[in-house]
Amino acid sequence: MRPHARLLALLSGLGLLLSGPGAARAQESHIGGVTGHGARGQQLYRRYCVGCHGKAGDGLGENAMWIDPKPRDFTAAVFKCRSTPTGALPTDEDLFNSVTRGFVTTNMPPWRPLTPQNRADVVAYIKTFSARWKTARPATPITIPPEPAVNIASILHGRELFQRLECWKCHGPTGHGDGPSAHDLTDSKENPIRPYNFETGSRFMCGTTNQDLYRIFMTGLDGSPMPSFADQVRPAEAWDLVHFLRTLQTLDTPEAALWRQWLATHAGELKPIGPEGGQQ
Amino acid sequence: MLKSLGRGTRLLLHGCLPAALILSTGAMGPGGTRGRSTTTPESAGSARSLVRAYEASVSHNKRIPAFARKYNLACSACHTVWPELSAFGQSFKDNGYQLGNDRDSPIWQSNTYWPIAMRTTPQWHLESTTHQITDASPGGRTVTQAGFDLSGVDFLLLGTLYKNITFGLVPTLDADGTTGLEAAFVRFDNLGHSPWANVKVGKFELDNLLSEKRFTWLSANGGFLYAYHYLPVGSTNNFGFGDNQIGVELSGHSINSYTRYSVSLLTTDDGEPGVPGGKSMDAMFTLSRAFAMGSGLGPQRFGVFGYLGHRPTAFETSGGNPIPGTGSANKSFVRFGATAQLWLGNLELIPLVSHASDDVALGGGTQKPAWNTALLETHYIATPQLMIQGRYELLRMSKQGDPGIPKTTGNADAIALGVRVYPFLFSRDGLAIHGEFAMTRTIGTVPLSGDGSGVDPVTQTTAVWSRSLLLAFDFAF
Amino acid sequence: MKRSRTLWWSVAVISALPLGNAALSAPVLPPAAGTISGKVTYTGTPPKMKPVDMAKEPNCVSQHPTPVMTENVATGPGNTLRWVVVYIAAADTAAPPATEAVRYDQKGCQYLPHVAVMRVNQPLDIYNNDPHSHNIHPLARVNPEWNKSQPKGAPPIHATWEQPEFIPVKCNIHPWMHGYFVVLRTPHYSVTGDDGSFSLAGLPPGTYTVTAWHEQFGTQRQEVTVGSGETKTVGFVFTARPY
Repeated sequence: MRPHARLLALLSGLGLLLSGPGAARAQESHIGGVTGHGARGQQLYRRYCVGCHGKAGDGLGENAMWIDPKPRDFTAAVFKCRSTPTGALPTDEDLFNSVTRGFVTTNMPPWRPLTPQNRADVVAYIKTFSARWKTARPATPITIPPEPAVNIASILHGRELFQRLECWKCHGPTGHGDGPSAHDLTDSKENPIRPYNFETGSRFMCGTTNQDLYRIFMTGLDGSPMPSFADQVRPAEAWDLVHFLRTLQTLDTPEAALWRQWLATHAGELKPIGPEGGQQ
Repeated sequence: MLKSLGRGTRLLLHGCLPAALILSTGAMGPGGTRGRSTTTPESAGSARSLVRAYEASVSHNKRIPAFARKYNLACSACHTVWPELSAFGQSFKDNGYQLGNDRDSPIWQSNTYWPIAMRTTPQWHLESTTHQITDASPGGRTVTQAGFDLSGVDFLLLGTLYKNITFGLVPTLDADGTTGLEAAFVRFDNLGHSPWANVKVGKFELDNLLSEKRFTWLSANGGFLYAYHYLPVGSTNNFGFGDNQIGVELSGHSINSYTRYSVSLLTTDDGEPGVPGGKSMDAMFTLSRAFAMGSGLGPQRFGVFGYLGHRPTAFETSGGNPIPGTGSANKSFVRFGATAQLWLGNLELIPLVSHASDDVALGGGTQKPAWNTALLETHYIATPQLMIQGRYELLRMSKQGDPGIPKTTGNADAIALGVRVYPFLFSRDGLAIHGEFAMTRTIGTVPLSGDGSGVDPVTQTTAVWSRSLLLAFDFAF
Repeated sequence: MKRSRTLWWSVAVISALPLGNAALSAPVLPPAAGTISGKVTYTGTPPKMKPVDMAKEPNCVSQHPTPVMTENVATGPGNTLRWVVVYIAAADTAAPPATEAVRYDQKGCQYLPHVAVMRVNQPLDIYNNDPHSHNIHPLARVNPEWNKSQPKGAPPIHATWEQPEFIPVKCNIHPWMHGYFVVLRTPHYSVTGDDGSFSLAGLPPGTYTVTAWHEQFGTQRQEVTVGSGETKTVGFVFTARPY
């Protein structure tokens, strides 16, 4: 056993020598039919991204000190918006979507005007900043069952989940980001951070659709206080929570319309959300 | 004795030039609208054109370090090489200078942020023009001017007043102290929450796909396009496609600005305030479509444009002097063409073809003057900090206004080569070290740059060569 | 005596080399294991530990009639230092993989134990014993960082770590909760208690680098040689600062 172990150690050491910066830029990304190339992505990164994300991809670009929230540190390989479980790397498509959409209420713009090829190249280059892209097993996106119909039963069950899972501890009983734990939250780099405030009606960090919302709490926003609830919520139930969360927003959604209609006659039946709601 | 007089005075003595020519050369500046005055007495016009020739022309381009400061993006995010816009920058501009991440409204900014940026270009340049008639050489000689010089200063104040309400204000200060207002507008963006409806009112640059305000040429002969400024011999028109106009523009774009259109209604008279022209209006449209093909620095874009203009040919007079704003008997002119922006890796190709024709009454003759231009501009953007560029443009008269003029009079060929080096890439300000060589050959007329003596050559078929050599330090903050 | 110990030691070392078993035909008896033990103490003035304010979670306040103290510098009588992990730097390739699960409890809004040590790929079970939610957020940098919610009554969360690392653990809902997962390659480790003592047993004779890690005062190393069946006593002294 031991001779083989030594041989393996020698070979992997050689392998590390060979995988210098040149080999790192041989990184590729695959999004749909488009293949991105790290070498081309490096030029694009220097043009578009370096001011905030830094030459070393560590989130310490020249402008980083003036920005809140801080730009993503690619060397840590921890990403908020993924379709993969917590602790796993995002898929190429996850990164592509983040670059395309940008992040509302941050300084990350939507890079949609860049051609899909350019965006894919940038994604390929981003993957060269951390060795984890080479060493980690590829992650599988979570399975999302088809969305059931929106009805009051679903919204009410979602409301129960919101209470039981104690989302209100951070997001507040009405989703205004003012829960008891909201004010002390820090992200994984110890920067202060606030929970999403459903009342603003602004886009979520990771998309706009119900599916995107499903993914947010079923994969967690890694690097932030928002955990994954995948171990605690059955996939079918998760849709109920999605429907309830939509009623907290000030947007015109079918869920909100249905909820307002129901509330007009049944509001008195609801127990409050919060510490008192726990004593049911 | 004549030699000891100032250049301007010498011209005054030679003041018997056709008024129309003076008016046209006075109105056309190389590439820019540097505070043109409304009424141009003959001599002042020619003096000004000479002064302009002696100064380097600066296309007063919009490149906004203030935006870089506001959004914490490096210049290279919005500009391929500033001042030329990238696809991302075009989309930002189309959206009313809003990034769309809910951080645009002024209320998000620190109240120490002030939306102002400035640009100017100290330089050394050399101008040399052949076949120029001077007092000492009525047969024509080569006139050369060279020295250190200044450009004017652009003050670029653009931003948002409120979410989806954009403003722009661009006062200018010429190197000779003349002030002007190049742009002043307010724009209502995303009407009905749709990017397809935006309304801009005021003085602004026309929605040219190939923008003269944001292009990368600065020399007297290279800093403007014949396609946008040429007017034939004897013309009484004063229109320049590259000049900012006053009016209202309805524009729209797809969410990534790959499809864009604009339709404008403009007050006649080439952006001169005070409504000096007639009661007529000009109209313009542009339409372009981009395709995400290839792996170049941007999408492949194709566009068409058209302009229908009117100029009054009769005015009410008082005591023999025309009363501004009372023009009538409008005569029309058209400009239309097609252009593209193509990318092969880091090589950008910009072809443009256009056709122009003016009404007989505007042409100073008995026929409708018409001419065609074609140009190809190439930029090789090696890195965001190094660009090498070249342009070849040709203009051919297809019909002269005055049938007595030779067919080739007014034809022009223009070539320009340049390099821009940006020693640092930053998000607070920028500096470009700019080298340029431009050469034009015009048949029988002064070059459009106004270089030389400002007097037409001896014969109408003399080929006048005008060369510019420029070394400039173009900075903005 | 010394000579025979040297002989045994060289036999042990030679048998560790990959020379193939054919090289030595004499039967080799495993040498008797030694022990390295001692105490961890400090000099200077350590910071004062403060009572933890759990007012945000009334359930936890009621579980602690006297408030718990912060644990980043936990000391004992005689200037001893608690929660110091003392371990052998080198991996022990002869040791079998660890299969017994390490237990980590969240109780009364505290992590018990404050520092949990485990081996690479050893199962870790995280329990929530409180009548409310916690989220368990190990701030790993070498291993993947993850963050999972664990409501009241939820089953234990199972995790393993593939790389050695000192991982701070936090709960975002209750920001006063701090703990550590210490993931080591070696099975030879010991965590000091109130009396500051540690003991690393079962060590084949040899020279070892012994490392002592404290979350606030850093790391110290010592080279220790242990003979067959010998118990070596070493001490680690950390310099404490009041801040």
